[in-house]
Amino acid sequence: MVAVLLIIVPLGLAFAMPLFNFVSKRIAAYLPIAAMVCNLILSILLLPSVMENTRIVILGGLPPPLGIHLVAGPLGVGLSGLISLVGLAVSIYAWGYIKQGAQDKYHALYLLLLSGATGAVLTGDLFNLFVFYEILCISSYALVAYLGDRNGVESAVKYLIQGSVGSGLILVGIAILYGMFGTLNMAQIAIHIDNVDSPALFLALVLLVTGFGVEAAIFPLNAWLPDAHSSAPSSISAILSGIAIKVGIYAVARVLFTIFGVAVVFQYVLLLGLATLLIGEICAFSQDNIKRMLAYSSVGQVGLIVFAMCIATPDGVGAGLLQLVSHALSKAVLFLGVGYLVARSGSMSLSSLNGIGKRMPVVCFACVVAAFSLVGLPPFVGFAGKFLIVRAALAGKSIFFTVLIGIVFLATVVEGAYFFRMVQTLYFKDAKRQIEYKKVPASASIPIMALVVFIVALGVYPDVLLPYLKSAAADLLNKAGYIKEVLG
Amino acid sequence: MTLGLLLIVAFGGALLVYLPGKISSKLRDVWAVLVALAVLLGTATFYGKSVHDALSYQFLGLPLVLRTNDLSWFFAIAISGVGSFSIIFSLSYIKNRERTDFYYSLMLLINASMLGIVFAGDLLSFYVFWEIMSWATFLLISYNRGNALPAGMKYIVMSMTGSAAYLVAALSLYAKYSTLTFSAISTQITTASPGFTSFILILGFMVFGIKNALVPFHTWLPDAHSEAPSPFSAVLSGILIKMGTYGFILFLYVLVGFHQFSQLAWKAVSLQSVLCWLGAITIVIPTFIALMQDDAKRLLAWHSIGQIGYIILGIAYGTSLGVAGGAFHVLNHATFKALLFLCVGAVEYRTGGVRDLNSLGGLMRRMPITFIGALIGAFGIIGMPLTNGFVSKWLIYKTLILNQDPFLAFAALLGTWGTLLSFYKFLHNIFLGQLPEKYKDLKKAPTSMQIPILLYSGIIVLFGVLPGIPLKIIAGFVTSFGLTPLNVNLWGIVSETGTLNTINLSMAVVSAFFAAWVVFAFSRRSVPTTAQDTYAAGASIPRDKYQYSVEFYNPLYRMMGRYLRDVVDEFYGWLARVTQMTGEIVRRLYTGDARDYVLYIVLIVAASIGLKIWWPT
Amino acid sequence: MFHQSTYFVGCVGLMIVGLYTMLTKKNLIKVIIGLSLFETGIYLLLVVVGYIQGATAPIFSRTTGSPAEMVDPTPQALVLTAIVIGVAVLALALSLTIRLHEHYGTLNLRKIRGLKW
Repeated sequence: MVAVLLIIVPLGLAFAMPLFNFVSKRIAAYLPIAAMVCNLILSILLLPSVMENTRIVILGGLPPPLGIHLVAGPLGVGLSGLISLVGLAVSIYAWGYIKQGAQDKYHALYLLLLSGATGAVLTGDLFNLFVFYEILCISSYALVAYLGDRNGVESAVKYLIQGSVGSGLILVGIAILYGMFGTLNMAQIAIHIDNVDSPALFLALVLLVTGFGVEAAIFPLNAWLPDAHSSAPSSISAILSGIAIKVGIYAVARVLFTIFGVAVVFQYVLLLGLATLLIGEICAFSQDNIKRMLAYSSVGQVGLIVFAMCIATPDGVGAGLLQLVSHALSKAVLFLGVGYLVARSGSMSLSSLNGIGKRMPVVCFACVVAAFSLVGLPPFVGFAGKFLIVRAALAGKSIFFTVLIGIVFLATVVEGAYFFRMVQTLYFKDAKRQIEYKKVPASASIPIMALVVFIVALGVYPDVLLPYLKSAAADLLNKAGYIKEVLG
Repeated sequence: MTLGLLLIVAFGGALLVYLPGKISSKLRDVWAVLVALAVLLGTATFYGKSVHDALSYQFLGLPLVLRTNDLSWFFAIAISGVGSFSIIFSLSYIKNRERTDFYYSLMLLINASMLGIVFAGDLLSFYVFWEIMSWATFLLISYNRGNALPAGMKYIVMSMTGSAAYLVAALSLYAKYSTLTFSAISTQITTASPGFTSFILILGFMVFGIKNALVPFHTWLPDAHSEAPSPFSAVLSGILIKMGTYGFILFLYVLVGFHQFSQLAWKAVSLQSVLCWLGAITIVIPTFIALMQDDAKRLLAWHSIGQIGYIILGIAYGTSLGVAGGAFHVLNHATFKALLFLCVGAVEYRTGGVRDLNSLGGLMRRMPITFIGALIGAFGIIGMPLTNGFVSKWLIYKTLILNQDPFLAFAALLGTWGTLLSFYKFLHNIFLGQLPEKYKDLKKAPTSMQIPILLYSGIIVLFGVLPGIPLKIIAGFVTSFGLTPLNVNLWGIVSETGTLNTINLSMAVVSAFFAAWVVFAFSRRSVPTTAQDTYAAGASIPRDKYQYSVEFYNPLYRMMGRYLRDVVDEFYGWLARVTQMTGEIVRRLYTGDARDYVLYIVLIVAASIGLKIWWPT
Repeated sequence: MFHQSTYFVGCVGLMIVGLYTMLTKKNLIKVIIGLSLFETGIYLLLVVVGYIQGATAPIFSRTTGSPAEMVDPTPQALVLTAIVIGVAVLALALSLTIRLHEHYGTLNLRKIRGLKW
């Protein structure tokens, strides 16, 4: 039952926010920290036991396939651990960063976003997945517009329109599946789906993947991402890039692998992932706005993750998951760090950050480490991810994949080009004007450096993650195993 | 001392530079020199040893192996030697610059990572060290700012392309053999199909060709070498690009084996001859481009490419003499090119960053030690007898002549002529001729700069007179490649077709010098006059206007300049612009209109369904 | 009455009308109306999925009727949830629209393109 707390705690605190706010105005910023610490500890405690066998948490007394239930497997608990780790770092950051507007609303929405994300990765029920996904989406629409400035509101509206159409498609997909099988339990659907071959089923697959693909930012569904990530407050950009799109990827993967498991579609989505990667990196290359550049880079990374997962071997999915972890950590660091760089220099254009590395050494160092990690340079965690991806892709010894890997590397070179350009800008360009920068508060540098420690530590010793990746990949890919775990 | 410990010292020493740097810059300097020397000593202790250590630490479930043998040690000692000399040189060179902690830390880090490369016993640890070297190099190239930034970008983009090719090659091998250790791959690859081996080797050529600046992958080098801080240029040109050579030797001789390599051919064109000809092209064209450079460091940089051509030519030729010549040239080029860069660095340091050959001159009397260093370095690179460059070039020529390959031999010879011409210009325009007015009060190079210059000069002459010292190790690993063993003694190589004996050579050269000295001693002494006397018959003219070293080979420029454009570089530049333009076009997809985005969603659903209908499988 | 597939056609038609509105209208409010129509179509579709011709409401308190004669209650629960979500989205969208109008002074989506490329 412990797994329920992972959702209950942030959700409860989010709704209790007005109450706390009534007691003291200053308490609001501490609640997300408390919730995330709690979630992190719970996830770490749960992880070893769910590695052995998945735990099913029944809500409302009806056993699966009837009632709603949570599936605390290695993948779900692992991802919730990642969510709470990044969430914790971002909430500590936000404590010092969010100084304007209705702060209690910010923190309440933030908690909602995280509980939506946690719920989505833990649930075993398709409609429940949709509900949590919607909680995540709606709170992120609102948070993007939190500052109420022109860009924020505009991007929130665009995000909302696309997100809602996506959600609509998901709902249609769910309706079709329910109409065919009369159940919403993912394991139950997965059992029946092998016996049926109908065009409607394919339609459901397309609608579900497209719908979740909007949040996962697969090309061409990702137009909201550069706008939203670049216009949101930096703490929100970090959580959107680090966590929200990962939930989308999780949902796509769950639908593709566990529910449907149609091999033909993998290749199709794999090619879409490749297109996402290329387009994201090329667009990022021609950006001058640093946050927009990072946002497009997220698009590219999502493409890489999707590409890796759709290799659809345990190695490939594991590699994709490692890349997912690495991207969550690195991009969070980058957005958090750049948040202060942008705040201090007063502009988001790259050229305004010339030589800022001397003024803000800690933040810039962290950004450089994260950028190196994203490019996939050792000894940072991104290298392990890329190495595994290439290994998984080439393992089949097919020429097709060798060519695809060539394209992946083409994108990586473009990615490297703009990240190295960023490094040069931060450190090796002469500042145009002398500004006395204020120090970055500890509330920002501590979480950033903590994440950097993770990036380096996992980069030096990624083997610590290997068993989790392996069982998480099995959790996704092994359809029969999943059905057995859930339905007994 | 184990290899692991040595690497820990090297890497730890590099990262910990910041600690003493926080206390005082003196302490930091001492620390940096101590670490570099400790690494040099530590490397030296592995002389003649053959170690194969499987580490208990695994990366992604793959075992990592460190190993050393004659080949590794040969490169390792060159790395730590060049590295520590450059650190000593940096003491005064870098003193008044900013971010000195950063500089020393990266110098030591690059050193450590290069050691890691040559001590790596499997493709994964090789790659890890290779990448650390690449990004650290990028940071250090960019250190000088200004023009150094595009140079750094060019370097890192090409380097990443190479790394990508490496990763594909390594993991294709892994997919086939489920192992990444050199020893295991080399035994299993003998059964591989020629297509697969060619695939691996061509990828390898790309990786190592880029690092090695083999034409057509050379374009990063002139920019990077000339814009980096000079002591680092010495490392870069002296040894860092030789990591590519090490990679060539590794892939050709250790992993695949020469026999298998020489069999690979597509119709009449064998892979080996392609590589040989690439080597020859690399000798000729860059050497003549170098001739036209006015920037001292750029001139040296283009020559680095030219000399790499000799190395590749020797190694690709695959006879034991050729490989020995190529490998020996690695060491020799490391010494004389590092020496030349340090000399330019010293000049640059004293003149306040001037390295334009048109505005220097006559520094011989002001900086005598530097001049002697530059002279010996130039002798070395030209291949004058009594310098080590002679021996290695002799071995390479000999290989080509013995195997009756007149075209390649002619190319190699042509390169030497170009080298001779351009180093005459180099020496003359910096050290000989008139001293410009503004440099009248120039001081000698500081001691910390003179020490490495003298050490390098000593080594060049020592290995020129006693080539047997390094050749003994080279003969060791050449034999281990399965080539005909070489008969080496202290004075040279004994072979049936003609013995290299430096005693006779020494005598000949010394007597020639004596004869020249006699002629000079008995002829009329030259009378130095000022520029006014020569040009203006005593009338007053603007000072420093009539420096006769300006545009030294002017007629030659006009004659050849048109043909010696760097076409490859222009092509890469075009490629970069195309990428940029593609980005500009592609990002118009994101029109900013929310309705278009909805349209994309509808379209992708429609497209997916359409694909399913028309493409039922 | 009608055959059940007629209902499907109606729902899908409503969705298409909604999508068409979203794609062709420039005014943001109209686009949001289109979104609403699209979602309404989906809600109806969900209800239709659980609908059984001639069955009654699934309330057990009535003495007559066995479960076989009742419509499936689950989709109705789903629709309720979805409607609640839809209302939240609609409210948020409209409030953002007001803010957007403050910034741009227009609701023409062709002109609201501060963020592009």
